[in-house]
Amino acid sequence: MLKLLESIAAASMTWVELRYHARRSKRLVVRNGQVEESSSAELTGVGVRAFVDGAFGFASTSDLTRGGIERAVGIAQSTAKMAATAKRHRINSLAKPNLARGSFPLGAADPLDAHSLEEKLELIRRLDQDVRATSSLIVSSEVSYAEIVDEKAIATSDGAAVTLQDAKPALRVLAVAGRDGQQTRCLNTLGISGGWSDMLAVRSPDEMVRDAVKHAVDQLDARPATGGAFQVILDPELVGILAHEAIGHTVEADFVLGGAITADKLNQRVASDLVTLCDNGASVYAPHAVGWLPVDDEGVRNERTAIIEDGVLKAYLHNRETAAHYGVEPKGNARAYTYMDEPLIRMTNTYIEPGETPYEEMLAPMKDGYLLRGLGQSGQADANAEFMFGVREARRIRGGKLAELVRGVTISGNAFDTLMSIDAVGDRFEWEYGAGFCGKGQAAKVDGGGPHVRCRLTVGGEQEGAHG
Amino acid sequence: MGRSELLASCQEAVRNAKRLGADQAEAYAQMVESVSSTVEKHDLQISKSQMGSAIGIRAFIGGRVGFASTNRLDRIEDACQDAVALARISPVDPHNVLPEPAEVPPMDGLFDPAAASFSAASAVEQATEILAETERIDPRVIVNDATFDATMQDIAIANSSGLAVTERGSLFVYWIVATARDGERVSSFDFQFGATRRVHDIDVTVPVHRVCENALSSLDAEPGESFRGTVLLSPAAVSDILLSALLFQLNARNALRGRTRWKDSIGASVASDAFSLVDDGRLAGGVASSAFDREGVPRRRLALIEDGRLASHIHNTYSSLAAGTDNTGHAAGNAQSVPGIGATNLAILPGERTSNALIADVSKGLVVQRYSGNVDPISGDFSGAVKAARLIEGGELGRPVSGTLISGNVFDVLNRISGVSSNREQIFSQTLPYVRLEDVSVSA
Repeated sequence: MLKLLESIAAASMTWVELRYHARRSKRLVVRNGQVEESSSAELTGVGVRAFVDGAFGFASTSDLTRGGIERAVGIAQSTAKMAATAKRHRINSLAKPNLARGSFPLGAADPLDAHSLEEKLELIRRLDQDVRATSSLIVSSEVSYAEIVDEKAIATSDGAAVTLQDAKPALRVLAVAGRDGQQTRCLNTLGISGGWSDMLAVRSPDEMVRDAVKHAVDQLDARPATGGAFQVILDPELVGILAHEAIGHTVEADFVLGGAITADKLNQRVASDLVTLCDNGASVYAPHAVGWLPVDDEGVRNERTAIIEDGVLKAYLHNRETAAHYGVEPKGNARAYTYMDEPLIRMTNTYIEPGETPYEEMLAPMKDGYLLRGLGQSGQADANAEFMFGVREARRIRGGKLAELVRGVTISGNAFDTLMSIDAVGDRFEWEYGAGFCGKGQAAKVDGGGPHVRCRLTVGGEQEGAHG
Repeated sequence: MGRSELLASCQEAVRNAKRLGADQAEAYAQMVESVSSTVEKHDLQISKSQMGSAIGIRAFIGGRVGFASTNRLDRIEDACQDAVALARISPVDPHNVLPEPAEVPPMDGLFDPAAASFSAASAVEQATEILAETERIDPRVIVNDATFDATMQDIAIANSSGLAVTERGSLFVYWIVATARDGERVSSFDFQFGATRRVHDIDVTVPVHRVCENALSSLDAEPGESFRGTVLLSPAAVSDILLSALLFQLNARNALRGRTRWKDSIGASVASDAFSLVDDGRLAGGVASSAFDREGVPRRRLALIEDGRLASHIHNTYSSLAAGTDNTGHAAGNAQSVPGIGATNLAILPGERTSNALIADVSKGLVVQRYSGNVDPISGDFSGAVKAARLIEGGELGRPVSGTLISGNVFDVLNRISGVSSNREQIFSQTLPYVRLEDVSVSA
């Protein structure tokens, strides 16, 4: 396929990017002992982006013959021409980095295909049963497995020529506990780039079940949190969420050009000098981060971007268009979810680098605060870096010790204010290994992580004296 | 390829699946043609022209079911094999069957013939108009993201009980994300959208006006104040807070899973008597209207909550059999998904007073245009930030506030509704009024 794409790209009169993308996915869902879904899907085709007269056009086809792909090229070119007539600021040029050539396999030792669907189904049926068997307070359980296996070939008329393979399995365990008409839940998720045994090695599924059940049950006794401004410790998962949702999106160059709060903050202090925040398609510190990406969908090699270095905003995330605009090298952040999507500026693995403070030393001097672990049911952030996240597990800290569990906690604030307030960065790094997707018109598999950090932010709970 | 060829593909898939060992089979195929134009960074970013098809096959073997889909209609045989293989490894559940055959009355108004000549150039014009209208309103508003999308879709369903139906639809969807920027001050973003099935009814200026108003008002926002009291939710906030939790409760599948509090509550009071919710799958011109659902079962109008009392859950074939009740025709999904359960055109019935009148008798309160936060559909707990919010002081709209959170419980506040407005807005397929709630916790 790569040869065919290269020859069509070479013959094109305008700049084109051709991307063959074959995706096979599978999904198994078991709820309360019933198999609710066992499905497989194939989604294969070629997406074509053309750049004509300073504007982009896009077309896609599932016809994989030379004729079919050439027709899509023609449509993309004519659509680009049309867009050019209405564009206010035509794009002068695209950045010309060293475009990738060659083959980029995932190299998983134990590929997903080596394990039958029966085996996968058997595992999740057992886990689902275990959720209900672990505590009599569990009223509902759900365990699901989903995998995405991708094969791509990318060729551009200016020289990129790559093949890529990737596999991303994901496991979710949901426990719902109930008592006296009250229900609480805990969702534990795991998503990686890698093979079957890699997934089982990163986090034990049995551990995920025990955790989910324990937390759902414990929350039945938890009282609503007291709201206000507090000193808190964020766990690596929330650090990753903060880095991705509240900071990462504001430094995507398309958002920056659209007026995000970071627009005139380059080379300014935006965080405590303890903070270095990066995006990196390589799985540093620990293997199998789910945002693994060696080459992006523009054919550009992915490299580490230090977004914030020692507290100073140093870089945005780019595609070839915005990199040319800013006169910098793109580092491979253009991603498309399926063959029918055009590449957009996306994050990969976004994290705060580890520091030097052991967790125990972070906790000990805290008189009154919270330990916050994991994302609750939703999280949202704004172009002005204001964020609001639900917290999965919140525990009060009193006199340097962990105290009672509380429920219904949200955290909010301005992400840069929060980063400024960081006064301790932990020494142990963890990836979130989330099973979810980042949404920006299209989905993308991303990861986040970091060490524990200590900072100040607004904890949302009940007004004093209020009832549930 | 037309609808008859699409139906023929479905029938071929059903025959294949039966030949491979299925005792019942269903195939759902779709063909979609779309043109779209996207705005980013306040300029036209890309124009797209797409055509694609897909088919999804459900194979049933003695109460076992498997599903497979492919976007390549030349590989139907492979997908049938996958569906049958998946069915074989699944356990038996007697509710896994096809729906009872039923007469499907056809429905008009789903397809506008003018859509056939709506070109990529027409989509570019509409996207350009979004930018132009924004600038006419206020140059401080920046369109971060906007898309105008025109889609024509053919669908066909065939099953081994003899069902053979097709439908053609057109849909124009447009949405805008914008912020306002004035020097150092950056507003919250606001999000608005519009949708219609008819070319003649396309009007991008309506969501543009709303998005500009909300972004600009939050530019001057200052920290609010903490109190416990009256909150007036906009239609968009009603959708995000109340309907998200209600839809979870009304979904029969969730009731069967033991996750809802309303499993055995038909006829019981669940909300103030000012609150009535209906779902109408055959609403004339409705963007979620169709003659039949994902399984080919006829759509209908259904009261879900009547004067505060729970009237019905929404069902597909599986849940209606498992619950031993009527199939309400709410199977949801497409060729690439297993039939789930989903609402169609939802509406909260209007009240008697305007939203302005609902503000006029409040001495102290908050109007919330947009909500950004959590809603736990099981417990009903919600807690999150309000955007483009304004205080109500002495019966009048006061200053805009930022950094303000509201929290409470959906099932509690449903019983503390003190007003539903007569004016309603279209939020995609939902038609919603302003809803006034009492005794809500507001913290700044």
